[in-house]
Amino acid sequence: MSDKVMQITEKSVQAKGICKRYKSFFGRSATILKDISLDIDASEIFGLLGPNGSGKTTLISIFSTLIYPEAGSLSILGMDARGNRDAIRRCINISTAKPNFPWSLTVKENLRHYGMLYGLYGAALSRTVQDQMEAFELSEFQDHKFEDLSTGLKQRLSLAKAMLNHPRLIFLDEPTTGLDPDISLKTRQLIRRIHDEDGISVVMSTHYMPEAEMLCDRIAFLRHGSIVALDTPQNLKRHLKLGERICITYQGEADISALQGQPGVLGLKAENGRMEIAVDRGEESLDGIIKLFSGAKITDIEIKEPDLEDVFIELAR
Amino acid sequence: MSWQGELNRFLASAYKNWIISRRNIFTVFELFFWPMISLLSIGLLTRFLAVEGSMVSFLLVGAIALTILQVAQIDVAYVLLFDMWSKSIKNTFIAPVRSYHLVFGALLFGILRGSVVFFILVAVSGHLFGFDFLAGGIFPVLAFLAGIFAMAASIGITVCISILTFGQKADVAAWSLSGLILLVSGIYYPVDVLPPLLQALARAIPLTYFLEYYRSIFIPGPHHLMWGAALASFYLTLGLILLDRAIERARRTGILLRLSE
Repeated sequence: MSDKVMQITEKSVQAKGICKRYKSFFGRSATILKDISLDIDASEIFGLLGPNGSGKTTLISIFSTLIYPEAGSLSILGMDARGNRDAIRRCINISTAKPNFPWSLTVKENLRHYGMLYGLYGAALSRTVQDQMEAFELSEFQDHKFEDLSTGLKQRLSLAKAMLNHPRLIFLDEPTTGLDPDISLKTRQLIRRIHDEDGISVVMSTHYMPEAEMLCDRIAFLRHGSIVALDTPQNLKRHLKLGERICITYQGEADISALQGQPGVLGLKAENGRMEIAVDRGEESLDGIIKLFSGAKITDIEIKEPDLEDVFIELAR
Repeated sequence: MSWQGELNRFLASAYKNWIISRRNIFTVFELFFWPMISLLSIGLLTRFLAVEGSMVSFLLVGAIALTILQVAQIDVAYVLLFDMWSKSIKNTFIAPVRSYHLVFGALLFGILRGSVVFFILVAVSGHLFGFDFLAGGIFPVLAFLAGIFAMAASIGITVCISILTFGQKADVAAWSLSGLILLVSGIYYPVDVLPPLLQALARAIPLTYFLEYYRSIFIPGPHHLMWGAALASFYLTLGLILLDRAIERARRTGILLRLSE
């Protein structure tokens, strides 16, 4: 392993002015990423959020050196991405949404194949494959062909593959897309474990705000190939006043001015006997808010988490 | 990285191709059915036309060479085709692999399969048509096979470059390039019968020289084995350089990503 690989760094990704355009055979071009600059700490789980076509997959593919940017500078784990691609590839790995592997290879054979590509051999290869199958609960499916696996098992195989080379940085491109809720939860727990127990830096893209909130220390919102917001989930919601929403349907009068001054209330909207109150922490704020409705009859209460759409509507203003 | 680790990066492609081939019933067609059809049809044609002994050798050498070439070149092309068909190409290229790891690993398996086909065809042609492949000793056979496998590697590399440059639709090259070789490199006839332009093209193809060399054992005549070997080495080296460039270009244009979608 080269000295460059061993170089200690506090940044997993340092990107400056990253641009990407795809050109068609006939010369037409489409701009996918515009002037992306960000620094990601090695200690954090970093989230890339955005709708389809916002450039998340392209950005992750550039960070993982799978494709190259048209302009800008990129440093991965302290190594310049232009001159150290092989060294970087030894230290990183990727797991993608809707993972695909050679169909007729079994779980074990797929892991062996990719382990060999990373230069593992002999007992170390067998042990690593075995360890990853156990870590991702794939042992009982080790002789199942990839084409026969469920979507959840394919995702776990993809995560196991991404751990074969004991990476220092792992990229996860929409790791829970298309999974059942229970499998999604399990996958999130696996991601958390990879980061917390194995000390691996994680950069992930996702559609899901709750997932990003659960896992990510910081989030970058991508829209039309640009970062439109970059902060911690809490700060983003606070700044955008997009905390949880308490929707109260009532008859009578409510003390709106007192509600606006209530701790934890980020904003409110009232019309026709229905009030939508954005709060920092829904359940904790609920008691104080309800007291201010003492002069009214509450007929319905609903607590809603802000979703990605809310965030984007706000960011687009 | 240790030499064992480096060796395994080569063997990874051979391992994948071996398992996929083992599980694919159509491998039987590639290894036995089509090669036998090719050999028997040419052999029986020589009987029907009452072709004399040396000409039988001429034609059988061509039939066997073409068959081995097709088997080995498709194995080299499979290194990318299997990944492309299963949309797993990004998993391969996220790893620190170079073109030579992929090509030589796949070629190793191609040599294995090509050798199996060769031994089958040699046995059958010897039994049915009295053809003695070892008439010139073992060295000419090894040189002949080495030339075919080098040519197969170059064709397989060309297929991979086509896919990385033009996308999925270019996989048709995997089956059509050997047709071009059949036409111009003297598989079933001497290149002298070709129009001048195609003769010039034939002289640029290493297989032409390896065929002439091996046939010279049965029908004495001039040959330029070293020139063929030099050309084969040149194409193989050039092919690996161009394949590395095609991979880099596919990373720049994003084709590598689109091949995975």
